[in-house]
Amino acid sequence: MSVNLPAEDPLIRMQRDLKRAKAKNLKDIKWGMVIDIAKCVGCHACTIGCVAENKLPPGVVYRVVLEEETGTYPSVGRRFVPRPCVHCQNPPCVKVCPVKATYKNEQGVVVVDYNRCIGCRYCLVACPYAARTSDFGEWYTDKTPEVPGKLVSRKAASGYEIRPAAEYGKKWPDRGQGSPIGNARKCHFCLHRLAVGMLPACVTTCVGRATFFGDRTDPESLVYEQIGSPRVYRLKEELGTQPSVYYLK
Amino acid sequence: MSNNKEYLFRILVALSVAGLVVGSWGVIEVMRWGKNATALGSYVTWGMWVAVYLFFLGLTAGAFLITILTYVFRVKIFAAVGPLSAFTVLVALTCEVMIISFDLGHFFRAYRFLLTPSFTSMITWMVIFTNAMLVIYILECYFLLRENLILWSKEEGRSGRGFYRFLTFGKRDYSEVDRVADHRRVHTISLISLPIGLIFYGVNGAIFAILLNRPLWNGALTPLIFIVTALLSGGALITFLTYVFRIDDKLVHYLGQVIRFLLVVFLILELLQFFVGYMTGVVAQITSLNIIAFGPYWWVFWFFHVFLGSLIPLYLLARHRANPTAVAWACFLIVITFIAVRLNTVIPDQAVYKLEGLEATFYHARLRTDEYFPNLTEWLVSLWVFSLGMLAFLVGSRWLPLIVAGKGEAEHV
Repeated sequence: MSVNLPAEDPLIRMQRDLKRAKAKNLKDIKWGMVIDIAKCVGCHACTIGCVAENKLPPGVVYRVVLEEETGTYPSVGRRFVPRPCVHCQNPPCVKVCPVKATYKNEQGVVVVDYNRCIGCRYCLVACPYAARTSDFGEWYTDKTPEVPGKLVSRKAASGYEIRPAAEYGKKWPDRGQGSPIGNARKCHFCLHRLAVGMLPACVTTCVGRATFFGDRTDPESLVYEQIGSPRVYRLKEELGTQPSVYYLK
Repeated sequence: MSNNKEYLFRILVALSVAGLVVGSWGVIEVMRWGKNATALGSYVTWGMWVAVYLFFLGLTAGAFLITILTYVFRVKIFAAVGPLSAFTVLVALTCEVMIISFDLGHFFRAYRFLLTPSFTSMITWMVIFTNAMLVIYILECYFLLRENLILWSKEEGRSGRGFYRFLTFGKRDYSEVDRVADHRRVHTISLISLPIGLIFYGVNGAIFAILLNRPLWNGALTPLIFIVTALLSGGALITFLTYVFRIDDKLVHYLGQVIRFLLVVFLILELLQFFVGYMTGVVAQITSLNIIAFGPYWWVFWFFHVFLGSLIPLYLLARHRANPTAVAWACFLIVITFIAVRLNTVIPDQAVYKLEGLEATFYHARLRTDEYFPNLTEWLVSLWVFSLGMLAFLVGSRWLPLIVAGKGEAEHV
């Protein structure tokens, strides 16, 4: 056994960090994420975990895993770069929203007010990370055959699809009845899970323990520690957007 | 000649009505299914309707050009087309607002612009200045037409006199004092419209220009190009209409000279955009430029824009500038091919993935940049708006004193 193995699962520590953060005043928390790309195996479990957690419809995705090839044959490699919304501290999407439907909340999370968004998609165009998608109102169960008694048919399957997720900790109407169809949608660090003391879905589903989450202003937290690593970098840092998502090379 | 005109008028009305009927299918689809009825995606998220919006935006600049030349720079000869161009701008502005409303995911929340406007957003300023332009040109149109509306409301045997009385708020007399006052008002409104108009077209350019992640759009040149392209396409429309309505052939000649100048300026700016883009060497920018010039829709750029919309008009405007028919043809070609310019403004930058590897992850048709081509719904809705605009213009040209009000206008400038 390697001596480098952690004494405990990072999830346990992050859970402790989360508990400590939640004891603070909300406005004193600044959520941050660190993704160690050396540990990411490219399994896409975070993408699927996010889709399931937020019940994302076809064409809507909050967290993708980018695949990059490095080097020249025969010295080649692949690396995986998960890309959630990077929650810029200087977000270009917030400035361009004409009706203040997207804004940075007290904890530094860039959120969308589904009931205010007019669906102009200027924020999609302005995001340098392509981290926003528009909900066009598609259904996975479209064109599913309807054979009652023989198949789990469209009606039965859409029962699942029609129930909304608890995004932003709110109760939303059944799918098909207005927002978030027609809205811009994006990762919100699973605020609804954080509110009840759970880590974001992408963090808990990461099989390589490559995604870390916590209060980046808490010196005792794992993310605070990792942000200080010499391996740290952020995507498109030259744009001055100051993302709250950090990467470890 | 008169019979021919009547025949043409009826054909155009019939075409507009047919366009409205056929286009209604697209409108119904959008009402039923929202944006799901379109081919738009999350990466190429502004498509044909935004291009058509910009097309109409350009057409509104015709009146701006005319009124500024007439009432600010005192070029008297253009005064004859003042009322016609002011009405044209009203129709184009209305079409512009309609097409962009279809593009919104939640049109019925447009009231949010009043409740929670964000002044850091260029779209908010676009809304403010669109409304300012609407108010300016409603007032300008009204004061330019008022005298003739009053005359028509009293003219024995003229049908619709009640309607004209309604438009004049029941005013029955029109004195010399009224005439002087109305011309003073038009002059004042035109002066106000100079800064507002320039900001309006500039703001629309700034919507694109401020985006740091969009190398093709980002830069100070973009708002300037928007102002020049608006003046070019709008001016070309007014020139064409001046010829069609047989207002004054001399005027067509002068307007043709203005259009030739604007076309040359625009082509130089476009050339600069390509030159600077290629020389900068930014991969995303070069890729976007390559999409325009050598991509799957290269013919939109080379055939429609460069050949049909630029070279032929330039030839006609240079070699046959004394021939009003040739000038009108040149302007007609500029106007109808300008949608190609707008499509090449809106789509190519979005057609480049902004992160490496984005194209190879999480496949869905709405998450591709190479699969966008306007679908039938988008074409039908565009047709519907075009048809409605054309019908409104035809009805206005028939039942409003747009031509007669321009006659003798020069002496008041």
